[in-house]
Amino acid sequence: MKSLFHHNYLKLLIATSFLTMAVQISQAQTPRLQLNSLDHLAAKASETVDVSIDERLIQTAIKIFKDEDPDEREIKKLVSGLKGIYVKSFEFEKEGEYTTADLQAVRVQLQDPAWSRIVNVSSKKDGNIEVYLRMHNDQIIGLAVLSAELKELTIVNLIGPVDLEKLTKLEGRMGVPELGIEPTKPKTKNEQ
Amino acid sequence: MNVIKKRTSLLLVLGLAVMVQSSYAFDDDFNSVVKIIERFYGVKHESIPFLAKAGMKVAITAARVKGGTARRLAEAGSVKVAIFEDQSFTGDITKFRTVLNDSLTDTWSPLIQTLSVPNREQCYIFLRNNGDKFNVLVVTLDPGDATVVQVTLSAKNLALLMKDPDGMGKALTDDATIVDQ
Repeated sequence: MKSLFHHNYLKLLIATSFLTMAVQISQAQTPRLQLNSLDHLAAKASETVDVSIDERLIQTAIKIFKDEDPDEREIKKLVSGLKGIYVKSFEFEKEGEYTTADLQAVRVQLQDPAWSRIVNVSSKKDGNIEVYLRMHNDQIIGLAVLSAELKELTIVNLIGPVDLEKLTKLEGRMGVPELGIEPTKPKTKNEQ
Repeated sequence: MNVIKKRTSLLLVLGLAVMVQSSYAFDDDFNSVVKIIERFYGVKHESIPFLAKAGMKVAITAARVKGGTARRLAEAGSVKVAIFEDQSFTGDITKFRTVLNDSLTDTWSPLIQTLSVPNREQCYIFLRNNGDKFNVLVVTLDPGDATVVQVTLSAKNLALLMKDPDGMGKALTDDATIVDQ
């Protein structure tokens, strides 16, 4: 009886371990960033905005947006194929309300080799802007923007085939904030 | 023959029971949000079904006359409003957000949530499918007042909401609560 209990217990333990591993692997493979670690900043922020448009809502939007309306037609084109739009934005009254340590949990996820940082990006706004692409078999499957200004912190996470051009066109639409992103043009010989 | 009839009746009763239960669950979310606010902040709401209906009529009339913003609600199939006026909403905003999200995220999708701790302002917009239409639940709180609005939107109006979630969410609350137009 005791050995039967041990046998079953061992089976359960192995199954649980496999399940945990599977969950961890699937979480690591997804381009969706876990941003819950930033939630505590809401208590210090003068304004917090949290947008979450999942695949179901995007599919709904695609169905309801009309081709006759030029604006809706363009949004439809931009979001088709996307599986999620997630935005977290914090505005602070004073400088120094968030630190690099607050961003550490997000940066750790972006250090995964599947994420690569696009270097030739700048913003019309002051501060530091970083754009990352997540690749899988030479296909873009996700994009992340980390915009850290002195009094403002914004993280945008788009899931699906999306590039910088799509992102800039989505600014100010579907909950994506105005980031002022512009790809920096390579310098001409005269400028160098 | 009697057995078939009995089975059909049983199925009908079961179907009706499921429909009633699911519609009760749908209604219950609005009420449970109102109760969450009451419990968390120790306040009491005012139900204004008649005012809301009047508001809808005004909105429809206004839509006919001037078109524009009021038109958005005029196309709504139903509206439920609970208002908390001249009460105190002091408490941990982030804790309230967690409580609210935990109670709704099984059935509703959070679309946009805006918080302002210094101004003690909060706005939450949740969405869910309801057949070929959509339910939108907008919860707004400021230091002295709060409003819970649930509307049924057509696909066309949902498109407006999704294009500009923040602006449209505020407009929905305004349209549902301002009767004097």
